[in-house]
Amino acid sequence: MRKKLLFKKGNEAIAEAAILAGCRFYAGYPITPQNEIPEYMARRMPEAGGVFIQAESEIASINMVYGASAAGVRAMTSSSSPGISLMQEAISFLAGAELPAVIVNIQRGGPGLGNITASQGDYFQAVKGGGHGDYRCLVYSPFNLQESWDLTMLAFDKADEYRIPVMLLGDGVIGQMMEPFRPTKYVRPRLPKKDWIVNGCKGRAPRVIRSLCMGPGELEQKNYDLCKKYDAIRKKEVIFDEHNVDDAGLVVVAFGVAARIALSAVKELREQGRKVGLFRPVTLFPFPEKRIAEMARKGKRFMVVEMNAGQMVEDVRLAVSGASGVTFYGRPGGVVFTPEELYKKIKAEYSRKK
Amino acid sequence: MASGLTLKELSKQEDRFTHGHRMCAGCGAPIVVKMVLLATEGPVIAANATGCLEVSSCISEYTAWKIPWIHTAFENAAATLSGVETMYRSLKKRGRIDKDVKFIAFGGDGGTYDIGFQSLSGAMERGHDMIYVCYDNGAYMNTGIQRSSATPLGADTTTCPAGDVVPGKLRSRKNLTKIMAAHNIPYAAQASPSHWMDLIKKVQKAHSYQGPKFLNIISPCNRGWRSKTNDAITLSRLAVNTCYWPLYEIDNGVTKITSTPKEKLPIADFMKPQGRFKHVFAPGNEWLLEKIQQEVDAEWEKLQKEAKCG
Repeated sequence: MRKKLLFKKGNEAIAEAAILAGCRFYAGYPITPQNEIPEYMARRMPEAGGVFIQAESEIASINMVYGASAAGVRAMTSSSSPGISLMQEAISFLAGAELPAVIVNIQRGGPGLGNITASQGDYFQAVKGGGHGDYRCLVYSPFNLQESWDLTMLAFDKADEYRIPVMLLGDGVIGQMMEPFRPTKYVRPRLPKKDWIVNGCKGRAPRVIRSLCMGPGELEQKNYDLCKKYDAIRKKEVIFDEHNVDDAGLVVVAFGVAARIALSAVKELREQGRKVGLFRPVTLFPFPEKRIAEMARKGKRFMVVEMNAGQMVEDVRLAVSGASGVTFYGRPGGVVFTPEELYKKIKAEYSRKK
Repeated sequence: MASGLTLKELSKQEDRFTHGHRMCAGCGAPIVVKMVLLATEGPVIAANATGCLEVSSCISEYTAWKIPWIHTAFENAAATLSGVETMYRSLKKRGRIDKDVKFIAFGGDGGTYDIGFQSLSGAMERGHDMIYVCYDNGAYMNTGIQRSSATPLGADTTTCPAGDVVPGKLRSRKNLTKIMAAHNIPYAAQASPSHWMDLIKKVQKAHSYQGPKFLNIISPCNRGWRSKTNDAITLSRLAVNTCYWPLYEIDNGVTKITSTPKEKLPIADFMKPQGRFKHVFAPGNEWLLEKIQQEVDAEWEKLQKEAKCG
């Protein structure tokens, strides 16, 4: 039997998927282009027996998530670029206290107040930590609404599994567009028992959740423990997607909506017999560096395409490590390129003498 | 100059907030800004919090402001202006500036009551010489009508939607004017564009004091209030005459009601023309209307007592 398709706005798909994945606490604050998430949560959370709170700022929202997560609930917040910047201190605290949380960033153009169109300008902030101290968030980058739905659900599982903040890095296009997708059922995997939550210590030893480590060597050890966790994530959690890379001489590397636009261009070039492929990291941390290095060793050239002034390209260059050529094409400031534009740029790069 | 208080005299003055901005037709905010600037003599520098007023008055390379104007983020109009004002004082002390400059910050209720509250409170406590003007339309209108802590009890917004079970916002408004007065600043007042002379007098009085001043001005929003585009002034007058938005000032600690309605109207008169309160008049929600009326009455009574005590 064919499963019914859902036709929803991206922001609402993310909100509904979160509720189905067992999210029962949402705190948020208005900012375009993600307002449909808090608005949807305001209506749906009470029906689902969960809690919706509109905070007085993004700083308050993310700290409410910290509190709810410590109490053991699947908790989430969402915002857009400037709001995510305000949250950075608390995201660092979540990482330090090893608390699970899901943070949705529907990116808009920056820096500063920028504009409200789609952008990928927050790549560095999302994958390199963003706040202070040595930490990482697991970062998923959906390129259509099907992935927005599925990765939102996965984000809650991975947040609980590793006890880390997980970021869903979308953008104005992902948040605002509507398209049909299969509403995959949420199946809860086997997860470690939440034996660390603070839910009343009657009959057991009290627990403590904190990120303050003042004892001699305590903080260094904490950082090494976190590193171990990030290494495990690097080993096990890499997700990527490939189109026609095997025989390709030129591989376009793009994530999120940029990859979706690039895919149209790559398909067109393939139809004309040009050996071009697309490589799309789905997890931005962990970055699929091994696969990129492997392709580089085979002599494939790379063209990184981003809706920013060049951020992921640095990670691609690190992975390639000089083994092959890496070029970049990007449009910063909330400009969404067209498939025709990318077609021309990729074609030119493909035909360029090495 | 602005000491003249007749319409004729005011109309001769140069508008320092001009046409060309892209606020919605029938919006209260540009009227408020225009009046505040009409009542301001001499050089003035304005800061703006993110919001409708900010995004619509500085589109691309255009500006509707004929004065120096600065914007940073949502939460810090008062902090940004604190920096400008302090630098001005420093330069003046060193003899680098001889002009007397006034400072005004404009913010909506989201940027004032909620996210900007901390920087506002800080600026008031530090004693910067500025007027902070809040144009209060009772929700985050710029992002699509989400509730704020200025949203009135019972109102329907996108994040406190009125449904079968929950009849809109269940919390009452924060009384920000009194909170600001509690900072022991020289002057805090509430005004309404419907009572323009009262508004202009309050701005002039605020300018006459050194230090931080706060003006809370009601600013109807037909998009968020779900009202007609031609009733901003009617609705702000009804807000005053129902005592939902009493016009008063706290002048160096002395409370004075500056305009008492001839006949105090029932709160329903203010609410009925607004779609955001439609559900309050549906059968079964009589208790809510009663509660809203009781709250308005209690606040009004309290204010009258405070005014009597001085």
